[in-house]
Amino acid sequence: MSIPGLGQIVAQHAASAPATRTITLHPFSEWRFQISPTSSATCRLLTGTAERDGTELAQIKTYNLTRCRSKLVSFTGATLEITGEFESENVKHYPNQADSPFVSYLNLHFLLQARRTQSGNGHGPRVMVCGPGASGKSSLAKMLIGWATRQNEQPVLATVDPRDGMLALPGTLSAAVFATVMDVEDPEGGVGVSCTPSSGPSAVPVKLPVGYYFGREKVEDDEQLWRDLVRRLGSSVRAKTGRDQGVRRGGVVIDTPAVEWKRGEVKVKSEDGEEQKEKGGGVEGLMHVIREFAVNIIIVLGSPELEAELRRQNNKTPHGEPIEIVNLDRPDGVIKQDRQHLLSSRKALIKDYFFGDSKRALSPSVQSFSFDDVVIFRAVDGKFPRAWDPISANMDKGLDLDDPTLVLERAEITEEMSHWTLAVMDASVNDPLETIRQAPVIGWVCVSDVDKDRRRLKILSPVSGRLTRPMVWGRWPEPYVNLLG
Amino acid sequence: MDDHGDEVAADFREALQDLTTNARFEIVTLTNIARENANHGLAISEVLTNHIKEAPASKTLPALYVLDSIVKNVPTPYALYFGPKLYQIFMGSYTKVDSATRRKMDEMLKTWKEPVAGSISKKPVFPLELVRPIENALLAARNAYMQQANFQSQQHLMRGRPAGPPTRDTPTPPMGRAYQPPPHGQPPYQGPPNGQYPPHGEQPYPVRSGNTANGTPNRATPPQPAPSAGPYAHYQQPPNQGPYGAPPPPGINIDKLKDDIQQLIELDRAEFAQNMHDASKQNRLKALLDLQKVVQSQNLPQEQLMIINDQVAKLAVNMRAQSQPSTSSSYPPSLPPYNTHTPTPPAVSQQFAPPPAAAPVLPQLPAVLAAALGRPASNVAPVPVAAAPPPPPRPATTGGAAPGTLSLDSILGQGALAALLAAKKPATPQQTSTPVPPPAAIPPALAALRSPPPQSMPFSPPVQQPAPAPAAAPSPLAQNPSALLAMLRQSGLLGGTPTPPVIPQAPPPDPNIITLTPASLKLPRPHLLPYLLDALGPPCSQCGRRFPTTEEGKKKKTLHMDWHFRVHQRVAEAEQRGQHRSQFVNELDWIQSHEEPDVDYNAPSGGLSPSGSSDDDNDWSGGVGGRGRNKGREEKKRYIIAPDESAAEGGVNKVCPICQEKFQSRYLEEVQDWVWMDAIMVGGGKRVFHGTCWDEVNGGSQGAGHQGAGYQGAGGLPLLGKRKADEGDGEEEVRGGIKRMMR
Repeated sequence: MSIPGLGQIVAQHAASAPATRTITLHPFSEWRFQISPTSSATCRLLTGTAERDGTELAQIKTYNLTRCRSKLVSFTGATLEITGEFESENVKHYPNQADSPFVSYLNLHFLLQARRTQSGNGHGPRVMVCGPGASGKSSLAKMLIGWATRQNEQPVLATVDPRDGMLALPGTLSAAVFATVMDVEDPEGGVGVSCTPSSGPSAVPVKLPVGYYFGREKVEDDEQLWRDLVRRLGSSVRAKTGRDQGVRRGGVVIDTPAVEWKRGEVKVKSEDGEEQKEKGGGVEGLMHVIREFAVNIIIVLGSPELEAELRRQNNKTPHGEPIEIVNLDRPDGVIKQDRQHLLSSRKALIKDYFFGDSKRALSPSVQSFSFDDVVIFRAVDGKFPRAWDPISANMDKGLDLDDPTLVLERAEITEEMSHWTLAVMDASVNDPLETIRQAPVIGWVCVSDVDKDRRRLKILSPVSGRLTRPMVWGRWPEPYVNLLG
Repeated sequence: MDDHGDEVAADFREALQDLTTNARFEIVTLTNIARENANHGLAISEVLTNHIKEAPASKTLPALYVLDSIVKNVPTPYALYFGPKLYQIFMGSYTKVDSATRRKMDEMLKTWKEPVAGSISKKPVFPLELVRPIENALLAARNAYMQQANFQSQQHLMRGRPAGPPTRDTPTPPMGRAYQPPPHGQPPYQGPPNGQYPPHGEQPYPVRSGNTANGTPNRATPPQPAPSAGPYAHYQQPPNQGPYGAPPPPGINIDKLKDDIQQLIELDRAEFAQNMHDASKQNRLKALLDLQKVVQSQNLPQEQLMIINDQVAKLAVNMRAQSQPSTSSSYPPSLPPYNTHTPTPPAVSQQFAPPPAAAPVLPQLPAVLAAALGRPASNVAPVPVAAAPPPPPRPATTGGAAPGTLSLDSILGQGALAALLAAKKPATPQQTSTPVPPPAAIPPALAALRSPPPQSMPFSPPVQQPAPAPAAAPSPLAQNPSALLAMLRQSGLLGGTPTPPVIPQAPPPDPNIITLTPASLKLPRPHLLPYLLDALGPPCSQCGRRFPTTEEGKKKKTLHMDWHFRVHQRVAEAEQRGQHRSQFVNELDWIQSHEEPDVDYNAPSGGLSPSGSSDDDNDWSGGVGGRGRNKGREEKKRYIIAPDESAAEGGVNKVCPICQEKFQSRYLEEVQDWVWMDAIMVGGGKRVFHGTCWDEVNGGSQGAGHQGAGYQGAGGLPLLGKRKADEGDGEEEVRGGIKRMMR
């Protein structure tokens, strides 16, 4: 008997039928769960209150969850009804409520809220969250934003960690104002790229980001560009807060790349556990962020050493305000993201960007362009260590690497470009290279096929139309081979 | 003739495409369309077949329910048309949907083997020789799978599947799972209850045929879950049955009806025993007993039975609704129905007090029934109803039912009409001046949608079943929302929230006691928690956002619910249109954008173009500000929202004063509204000109947009609420400035 897919689903049927469970959360308990990208689960808040990353769940409403590793926390106690397949899920109960890391987080929020109130028409707090990998930085940043939004603030969430891709594809530094509820169902906790605007309506208010394309995984891969983009992002956020009083009051929360500081040595640790030793970069990078965003509150998660080092370096913001630093315990239960999971969520993000998620199917267009119709740049190679650049072998050796204005070059279109996502920049092809390099990104396209003989390439693009903008071919995230099939 | 058939088919196809949930109303409407156009049955059946074949998995089940409904209600000719294709339709759908939907389909399939409940005909919905192959195929597939699967799951299947739990032996789909309020606020079409939806006022669930014999005693006792009472509650007859005069399949089973009533009485007695002093219960019980007498002693015509039946169904539902806590589908053993309400303030009992035509109001049962019975009787064949007083004049507030006609109200009770209205126009305050308790048949979420702000109950989480108490209560409590809230909590309808923390009315205790030190941060401050929770007001049932119960908060909430509603509507529309990810904005736009909650969000398309016309939308170059944009394109994008007729009377000219041509309205997708293209408002928004004419006359040097005061104001061009509508030079300047600033 061959009815396609039937056997498989019957299996699910068998497995999922008993899987409807009710979970009781005591106050300050967390329900932690992991759901694989291929399965899905639902969750319903029956009684009480519960929230994910600072955003409350509506009662009774069924939330569909997939592909995520997250937690729901209840401050008043709750019962949840869950169904579906989980890679793992468990309830973390704190016998003594004071042990919950959320106590500190909540207090932190109320402190920030008090600062907002005090600020009058001035600037609300600018908070930088930093710490080693897997210390819950992004979650805390999201929570602080979510709570502020609930109290009718309009804070800015900015990320300078290129790995995250907040409201953007990975490899992008971005910022957005959050004035509306975040999408609880979003695998990235409301900051995934599927929460950005599409031509259609969205049941959860979309967020409008501004993003700058870095195109690398790690800061040190092109630290100069990263610094430039942080500066651009910082000035955009400043301009925004300068213009919009609500946003000014709401302040800024900045999520940063993982930095570890131990015994006088900076280890930049990637989230997937691969260690990269670097000289000095990490803290210097944070200092740069602090200056560009005029940070006045620094939250260090689980690294007293880093706190000490930052204290040593800091005293005043550019405006002469004192900078306050606090180190909070690293919460337990933060999931170390393994390489495989990160890779699959990057791919899922790219897919979401073009095709939409389960709630919103999008129809991207596939178009064919002549090589001459498109302008694709890439970073000039050779300024960076060749070791991590697989493409460097093909580089034109005749470049004058000393020319400071030569930061980009026209990329030769080859088969290697297949399956890469290119960033479309908000600039004109005739703009100076430096302008193009630092321009905000207005979207991405994916090269689905390169036909060298006919000099044509097929491009998957969220909208159809001519590609008159310059595009930048980054070096990360990696090509997504099966995007179209 | 053929042409007409094509039209019908096309309409039907369109209607099907809009069908995204199993909303009862829509399915009933589609069924009626199919009934009326039975002569085009072949075309319709083809359309439906194709739709089921092509629909995305999420829309398959509703479409199948349409088929189910049509076949059960209009077996001739549709059963014949669908019959030969049944296997392909069913199996095709089965392979593409998820397991939950498959379960529903299994349930539906089961009902096809049996006669339509209440129908005289003892023939099954589809001949067994059509259904059997499907069952066999499913069984074979399962067996094939089980051979691979481990033994355990096999056992599970054996237990769980073909035989099914006991409840499934009834033609009723097992609805034990808690019912989720449909996102649109429409009562869902819950499963294919065999013959449940028909115009011939089927017996309400509790007394469904086959079970009558044993149903009575234990059903009435609280612990019996009676799982499907809730969903069925929403199932009412199609509103237009009467007027359409479709031949009602003969079907009221008087025995069933009697049983129904009997059960209600039992239930009521139990309650009454619990609470002897409650006059309303006493009245109700008496009313029921009277009704029983009437039904038993009279030989009522079908039509009237139908109505009685309907009322009884509602009663049953209400009682269950009350006795069921919102989230669980079983009776709490210790709580007899209604008991939850006894501690409520006297105001609540008003719901049981006299008139407002809401049918389910119990003490009035005889009167209401009489009203309902009397009317059709006068139209059709007057039948004296012994126990009933003459039909009282219908209150004027019942939604405008014309006297003498078989109105929606009289068939369905006010609730249905209101539900319809609510589905169409949420949050529009009722025009009625007298506080009419919203009909009990509306789920509170709906009631919330349509109630005027003061009584908007949105803070009550969507309760599973229509609950008369919250719906009826608001009038006396309208001025005191917090009392209402308390009441709801007390009655257990606003479940969940443990006793609300005492929220100090005074400003929060100075949170400055928190300092940015680990020690201070680690100190639990439970008294602050409410500021993130209850102090913010009750949450929206759709998204959890909280709104204070102040006047302003209520206004915002109304806006917010409107927004939800609009979005739900538009999501369905947009699905057909095809959507795409929008461009991100550039710095300038981002800086100028303003996050405004609950404003229609239009994708920021085409960068700086305020109208976001589709030209720009489809072109990556759109975002490059004013660069290289030609005049012609700009003119295309000037428009104002077309003033509505009445406004036009009041001053806005419909003719361009320069060229004396009328403005043409056209629907602009981006703004979701009718607009006058190439129109600008000049001089305080009173005079409208063609943009081109205006430019000609004024030398065309300045972009009219800069002058037109209305240009910004009229559009509500809603990118994040407020967008600067600059164009051309001015924009370049701003842009340049910002660019300079950024570097």
